[in-house]
Amino acid sequence: MAVIRFIFDGVREMFRGPREYWMWLMALSVVVLFGAWRYSEQLTSGLVVTGMSDQVSWGFYISNFAFLVGIAAAAVLLVIPAYIFDRKDIKDVVLVGEGMAVAAVTMAILFVIVDLGRPDRLWHMIPGIGRFHWPVSLLAWDVLVLSVYFLLNLAIPFYVLYSHYRGKEPNFRLYFPFVVIAMFWAISIHTVTAFLFSANPARPFWHTALLGPRFIASAFASGPALIIITLQIVRKVTSYNISQSVIDLLAIIMTFALQISLFFVGAELFTDFYNEGAHAASIHYLFLGLGGFDSLRAWIWFALALNLIAVVILMIHPLRRKTLTLNIACVLAFIGIWIEKGMGLVIPGFVPTPLGEIFEYSPTGVELSVAAAIWAFGMLIFTLLAKAVIAVEQGKLRYHTKDVKYSL
Amino acid sequence: MRMSRINIWALGSSMARLLSPTDKAGFRTAAASYLPLVTLLFCSALLPANAEESAEPSQALRFEGYPNAPTVSVVPRKDELFFYPCDQCHAAMEPNPEIRPLNAMHDSALEHGRGRIWCTSCHDLENRNFLTTLLNELVDIDEAYLVCGGCHANRHKDWSFGAHGKRVANWQGDRTLYSCPHCHNPHSPAIKPRAPKPAPPVRAGLRLELGIEHEKSAIWDSREEHEDQ
Amino acid sequence: MSNGGSNFDKARRNFLRGLGMGTAAVAARPAWGGETFQDAFADFFQKDYRRMSAEEIAAALERIERKAKSRYDVEIDCQNTPPQQGVVYGYAINISRCKGYRDCVHACVKENNLGRDSQMQYIRVLQLDQGDFDLEHSDHYYDPETVPVEGKHYLPVQCMQCDDPPCVKACPVEATWMEPDGIVVVDYDWCIGCRYCMAACPYWARHFNWTVPEIPAEEMNTNTHYLGNRPRPRGVVEKCTFCIHRTRKGQQPACMEACPTGSRIFGNLLDPDSEIRYVLANKQVFRLKEDLGTEPKFWYFSD
Repeated sequence: MAVIRFIFDGVREMFRGPREYWMWLMALSVVVLFGAWRYSEQLTSGLVVTGMSDQVSWGFYISNFAFLVGIAAAAVLLVIPAYIFDRKDIKDVVLVGEGMAVAAVTMAILFVIVDLGRPDRLWHMIPGIGRFHWPVSLLAWDVLVLSVYFLLNLAIPFYVLYSHYRGKEPNFRLYFPFVVIAMFWAISIHTVTAFLFSANPARPFWHTALLGPRFIASAFASGPALIIITLQIVRKVTSYNISQSVIDLLAIIMTFALQISLFFVGAELFTDFYNEGAHAASIHYLFLGLGGFDSLRAWIWFALALNLIAVVILMIHPLRRKTLTLNIACVLAFIGIWIEKGMGLVIPGFVPTPLGEIFEYSPTGVELSVAAAIWAFGMLIFTLLAKAVIAVEQGKLRYHTKDVKYSL
Repeated sequence: MRMSRINIWALGSSMARLLSPTDKAGFRTAAASYLPLVTLLFCSALLPANAEESAEPSQALRFEGYPNAPTVSVVPRKDELFFYPCDQCHAAMEPNPEIRPLNAMHDSALEHGRGRIWCTSCHDLENRNFLTTLLNELVDIDEAYLVCGGCHANRHKDWSFGAHGKRVANWQGDRTLYSCPHCHNPHSPAIKPRAPKPAPPVRAGLRLELGIEHEKSAIWDSREEHEDQ
Repeated sequence: MSNGGSNFDKARRNFLRGLGMGTAAVAARPAWGGETFQDAFADFFQKDYRRMSAEEIAAALERIERKAKSRYDVEIDCQNTPPQQGVVYGYAINISRCKGYRDCVHACVKENNLGRDSQMQYIRVLQLDQGDFDLEHSDHYYDPETVPVEGKHYLPVQCMQCDDPPCVKACPVEATWMEPDGIVVVDYDWCIGCRYCMAACPYWARHFNWTVPEIPAEEMNTNTHYLGNRPRPRGVVEKCTFCIHRTRKGQQPACMEACPTGSRIFGNLLDPDSEIRYVLANKQVFRLKEDLGTEPKFWYFSD
């Protein structure tokens, strides 16, 4: 069957390339294997090898999870201009963006799995044979929307690429409804993830209606930052044609999103500090320290500084159009939001505890290794998917009824 | 309606005076002056008797527990009292009601009430095996709560209904309670401070960091410092 | 709902015990974390408590007993006492009586087979300054020579057994729920250890087994309940169950029995003559974080 051939050809394409490509894959694999080894420690001894405690019961893993769902959602920023506004330049890269979404969702789900106390009981979530507490539990919602988003971002590109592989144009009327669904779904995955946190009045730091908007805004700032850097790398290492207008559009979206995101931070700071009550204890801990504990303070101010520098660069048109300064802004914004939305979001929710205790958290070597491994795995997935996508899009991969040698 | 003795006596004496031989004028005057008195006395004889007149207390005014209080049994204490029965020694000793410092083999200092009460406020002077209430009723040592409740009525009510004190073993079914002296030594009822059990542990692999003591002064303590604001 | 303890169930249990022993003799080498392969297999596929039949629950109880034997070398009795009809438990603490001894905390640790090497203590006693009720000013680790310390008062906190529990809503696999007698329970064999319920709880009442609970064999309480104090595995959440293995049989919870000052009052909220109802009707009671609407079945008062 042609589909089998397509998959076979695609996979073969993924593992074919110049020496630099293989070195990249090897480097990522080493990190993955090292992290997997340390994860086995966690499986044998339990989560006691992490730095989490009853007081701070979510840590580095969930921090990365929250951040990565945002990256996954940002793929929609390519989908909307490509299909709704029918921009041809974006259409060329939308499949790469969807590949990034797949990688990001995979990473997010992996971060949840490594955080579980009993990953062997994952089947308990399967509706029917297990108990799936949907629609009441926000975590059940998150599992549902992430799984469907994963499938959507595999299925739609699969269909489009397969059509191109067969030398035809995909049937617009067939896949466009799914594209529309995927657009709304992207917003929903991140809104549901925000609701996961904001649904808890037990945690005043998270219990704000602003958390959903903050998540979307920071996702639309950090996502494009990653896509801009990635597309430039792709452009450099492959001969794939990526138009500068794509980068420009993403940079403008990123500018607006970062401005809004910083405005939201300002709104939070004002609301909590103007009449400071007990509900502000967490943000006080984060920004100013509390009771002599301040391990996150340096980080959050650093993150805020990075974001402010990034937004200033982006708001100055000549700097935004210049590749070097744009890249600097992207890196700064990415790191800044990763700190602010990762550890800067999850940990203060637990400090102080509902009984007023301040107990700090810092990730252990196991957590850092496993996290690095998951990021490497995500990059690996993206690399392999992008390799196949680009090969198809450049016309190098086509279905032939006869066996024909390909030229590289 | 029964006649009081005084009224009967008054009636009788007034009737006797009426019937005693006097001069005609005196009799008539006596009769006239005694008539309102006799009427009054006759009427008052029809009224119910006065309480002050009775020798023992009226049934309705004797404490018989709180209405609707659950049935409870109380853990006895006699077996725990080394010196009980007290008559072993006190039967041979002359009761001395004078309030004075004591030098006895058992609890004799009284850190209870700041001088409002004395041994015989609770221990019956004549019969040392028993306690005594405010109304001088004898109370068995195992029913000490009746004595305590005489002054600590709110606490006694709470205890009767289970809002104070300790119930034994079960929450359901028959109620057995500990009597007051089980926890409160009546001669020194304040519960003495004792060492607490250990503080909570930290998860294996983590260390407890104690932060700085926050400013805990009550707002009235820091008022002087804020004078200039 | 399940029920254990009928003659039929006992017969079944004996049969399964015999069957288990037979096959265990064959595959008796403990390998899967100390369990036989057969037990590990059955454990993996075990259904959640509310969907298990009486036989399945009986078999699960057997496995728990075998696991305790292999892991701690103790013979325990794991039961499944059902809730009593017409009973909903309520608890009240008289905070003017509490002196901060922590007798309740340690009695609970022993009674409920809590792991000794973690923060696993269902009850936490807070020391607060007189005139202050701000929990953020509380001291959890007080360790003076004697208690009560002059100028301080004490507040014990444990699971409030909320009537509208946020933890029950949070759980993605419905491993925690409120039983008919009001106790919020956890099926430790169903929990996946995501700890979302711990984030959702406003009273810090839920605790996690970061490692296998370390219980000294000689201190193991052998009178256990499936939903309560039977030895729990690693990687799952647990919490106070109002001593479900005791209270369903009419006994006081261990914390109440241990308290020397009689500060703790427990009983049936549906019984108008109970002590707890008297307290609610006659004392000025309050609940923690009342404004969150969780409807705790745990009150405080002072007098």
